[in-house]
Amino acid sequence: MKKDMILEKSNLSYWLRQLRKEMLLIGPMHGENGDIVLKTVENIHEIVLDCPALIPSPKEFLFPQKEEMFGFSTEGTKNYRNSKRRLIFGVRSCDVSAIGLLDRFYGGKFIDDYYTARRENTVFISVGCNKPDPTCFCNGLGTGPFLSSGFDIQFSDLGDRYLVEIGSEHGLSIVKKFSHLFSKPQKSDYDDQYEAILSSHAMFEKRINLENARQKILSGSVEDSFWAGVAERCFECGGCVYECPLCTCFNVIDRKYSAIEGVRLRNWDTCMFRGFTKMAVNVWPAEKKIMRTKRWYFHKLLYYPEQFGRFGCVGCGRCTITCPGRIDMATIAYRLKVGNNED
Amino acid sequence: MRTDLKEIYLPLKARVVEIVDMTADVKLFRVMPEDAFNYKPGQFIMVSLWGVGEVPISITSTYGIHEYVELCIKRVGHVTSAIHCLKSGDIIGIRGPFGNGFTIGKTKGKDILFIAGGIGIAPLRSLINGVLQTTPPFNSSLDKGIPPLNSPLNKGGRRGVLQLIYGSRNPSDVLFNDELNTWQKKGMHIILTVDKKDTAWKGNTGIVTKHLNKLRVTVKNAHAFVCGPHVMIDAVMRDLSSMGMHEDNIITTLEAHMKCGIGKCGHCYAGGKYICTDGPVFSYGEIKRYNLKWP
Repeated sequence: MKKDMILEKSNLSYWLRQLRKEMLLIGPMHGENGDIVLKTVENIHEIVLDCPALIPSPKEFLFPQKEEMFGFSTEGTKNYRNSKRRLIFGVRSCDVSAIGLLDRFYGGKFIDDYYTARRENTVFISVGCNKPDPTCFCNGLGTGPFLSSGFDIQFSDLGDRYLVEIGSEHGLSIVKKFSHLFSKPQKSDYDDQYEAILSSHAMFEKRINLENARQKILSGSVEDSFWAGVAERCFECGGCVYECPLCTCFNVIDRKYSAIEGVRLRNWDTCMFRGFTKMAVNVWPAEKKIMRTKRWYFHKLLYYPEQFGRFGCVGCGRCTITCPGRIDMATIAYRLKVGNNED
Repeated sequence: MRTDLKEIYLPLKARVVEIVDMTADVKLFRVMPEDAFNYKPGQFIMVSLWGVGEVPISITSTYGIHEYVELCIKRVGHVTSAIHCLKSGDIIGIRGPFGNGFTIGKTKGKDILFIAGGIGIAPLRSLINGVLQTTPPFNSSLDKGIPPLNSPLNKGGRRGVLQLIYGSRNPSDVLFNDELNTWQKKGMHIILTVDKKDTAWKGNTGIVTKHLNKLRVTVKNAHAFVCGPHVMIDAVMRDLSSMGMHEDNIITTLEAHMKCGIGKCGHCYAGGKYICTDGPVFSYGEIKRYNLKWP
């Protein structure tokens, strides 16, 4: 489905205020240390409307860093599945693209019910990027700066108004009760959006082609010495994995509150950590750092396209900002292209 | 909100009915799930102990033959150590069955070679009992030798020669001794070997690969099912391949660190495959094609 409308900026806060009566409103806000982060909106006027790509990504609202799965006691188990209704406002196109892929990953033959329960009760309003960050490279991946499908609701900032594109039933559900706030778009609105898209594309500083990187690896011309160089620069901090909107590895642990009561929880894990594949029999399939770094890139550049027909990267640039060793996706893709591993 | 979402991480309760001490560090657990529970050879379940954790354990029983779900568990880590402290009547959690399991359709009428090392006999036992159950027994014994494929004794049967090479560290580590005799009576040729013999041991010694020159199966036409320590699997697969067995007919079951069993946690991910959902059963050909690494 696709339905377009116009929302005057002056009506935004009223609309969000009404929606907040029905669901939890989350948006980009100044955090305690000055960063802009997604968090529960207390005061609607504090939402940062013109913010850069957010770190961390919105994946934490669907796949929390730490999540209690179920409690156990002598009485049995109690599932803690979260199905609170939420509206997350102000995410970026790259993140919406990532969520589309996460939906497919957590679905399939075995549906992850914790993710799915959250996802089905969460509506995302994304805002197309009029000003991409210097680290962004979604333009080369079709995952931004504006999307033509795959979103619940996409806003295009046209100055004094938003072009509101509704792309799902989820999205429609939060608009139709407030149709008096919206008007029908005119040709000039689409013209302005087109201008915004063109202008945004012109602002990208990076031109990264992951297909070239994939082909280079598939051709067999990338020696292990290249990956050894990458591994050497890896601090094993896990930052790339934690910030990546598409990394999904987790660990499961039990916590006991008493001899008879406790909780099973899962938390983010990273394949970059040495013990990630260690088995109880002291067998470590990916003990060497080169195996782990290589696997991360192979997963995103080779195996994701095989499994989903898309790269395991949406060009959000978070790993570029986070990685202290400068072995982020954009840098490695560039180095694969030029064929060296020099700084 | 959807109401049809299956609680896939929530274990099913199962009661420990019986515990058999197999060796100094291996116990056999017979468990009764509280709901219907179907499975096939080569599949595994996630076994939970509240407050301790969850581990993947291969099923050693055969559905339709054994009354209970049987788990042959070696004490190696903190969860298996806790499992070893269980008593009859205790409640555990199970999820599954997971994994692709063995496919034996292609082995119809063919020779089958089983090669097990140590606790690796556990998943193979499920398959062996299944194969023996679905095949008319031979009127042969080890002494008389296995009848050749064209023997009248094999006419009408669904399979060719069955052979097992089973290696253990010590004579006291040999698992399922009674069943080995039963299998032999049903016509399976068995080579039992130990790494380190004691004074009472009169049988074979040495690692399993040392006995590959005693094969009764026709290598080019046979299917092999191999399970044991990684190093053993690696050596056996290479040797069988170099002896002329087709790489896609050399089958093993891989183990990996797993936290979910359903292809989400990422721990068992290798070469673009999830050991838990794409495997754990893979052929040597697949292992090479997908570059599924094990040490």
